[in-house]
Amino acid sequence: MIGLEEQVTTYILYAIPIYMIAFSLYIVRALKGPTIPDIVLAIDALTYDLAAFLVILSIFFRSPILIATAIVLALWVYSLDIYVAKYLEARELGE
Amino acid sequence: MSPETLILGILGFLGLVSVIATFLAIMERDLLRAVLFSAIQSTVYAFIYYLLMAPDIVLVYIPVAVGLYPAIVLFLIKKTERYEGESGENH
Amino acid sequence: MGFDYILVIIGEVLIAIGIFCDLVASIGMLRFPNFYVRLHAATLGTIGGAVVPLIGAALVAAGSDFLGTYRWFMAGGAVITAILVLMLAPAGSHALARAAHRSGAAKVFPKIADHLEEDRGGMK
Repeated sequence: MIGLEEQVTTYILYAIPIYMIAFSLYIVRALKGPTIPDIVLAIDALTYDLAAFLVILSIFFRSPILIATAIVLALWVYSLDIYVAKYLEARELGE
Repeated sequence: MSPETLILGILGFLGLVSVIATFLAIMERDLLRAVLFSAIQSTVYAFIYYLLMAPDIVLVYIPVAVGLYPAIVLFLIKKTERYEGESGENH
Repeated sequence: MGFDYILVIIGEVLIAIGIFCDLVASIGMLRFPNFYVRLHAATLGTIGGAVVPLIGAALVAAGSDFLGTYRWFMAGGAVITAILVLMLAPAGSHALARAAHRSGAAKVFPKIADHLEEDRGGMK
């Protein structure tokens, strides 16, 4: 019977490359997206997934202080959405 | 594959992505797209600081580079003009 | 021993579901034709790919006792992040889609019908 610590570490070690493949596909869309909302949407999805990945990595690194960065990242990227949406709507409505 | 090799490979990939994003942000004529490329670069840098085990720098860097800097630059673009070199032309 | 194992196994299954949703959402984000179709991929990527593995990570952190006493702090932080993403991601993408349609920044290119644009009165 394999130990609990070794099992969790091996599982997360095999989960890391799949997450990196998904992140690279998101980054390709964010770098070449044809219009402005495509880029913002790709950054949005990339960063929420990155917050989940940071929590999983903090279990992998065994350091609980790294959890706080995920909350801050998920809260501040929402503001980027709102800025760009407000900019686009203000241009359409004539300020 | 050992975990240290994997983490170093991820760091190299993220550095490459940040270089590409910075290059596109410099060469772009549309300033709004340049701000968004800069946001990609900030997110990647936050992840790099996380992997280098500096969570205090991440906690300072994310509000400045993802939150406040695009807000200020978007406000300035809204007050002036969106495309670079637009007023230099004769129209 | 047994209860911890059950928590960790359930958490790992949830993380596996999240990884699958994340990969499918990234492929869809790369290959879908326009912005309004990519919103579906973004929803799958944020709810299925971020909230579900965050709950799973909370269960794994609560069940693995090699992390010490601070594992409850990690589990609580993961649950709070999951609740925040569950509230913020639909609000953000909804605001972005509304602004994109009103300002005409993203065209509906393979268009069958666009009733919202007709209701708002007119072609741009």
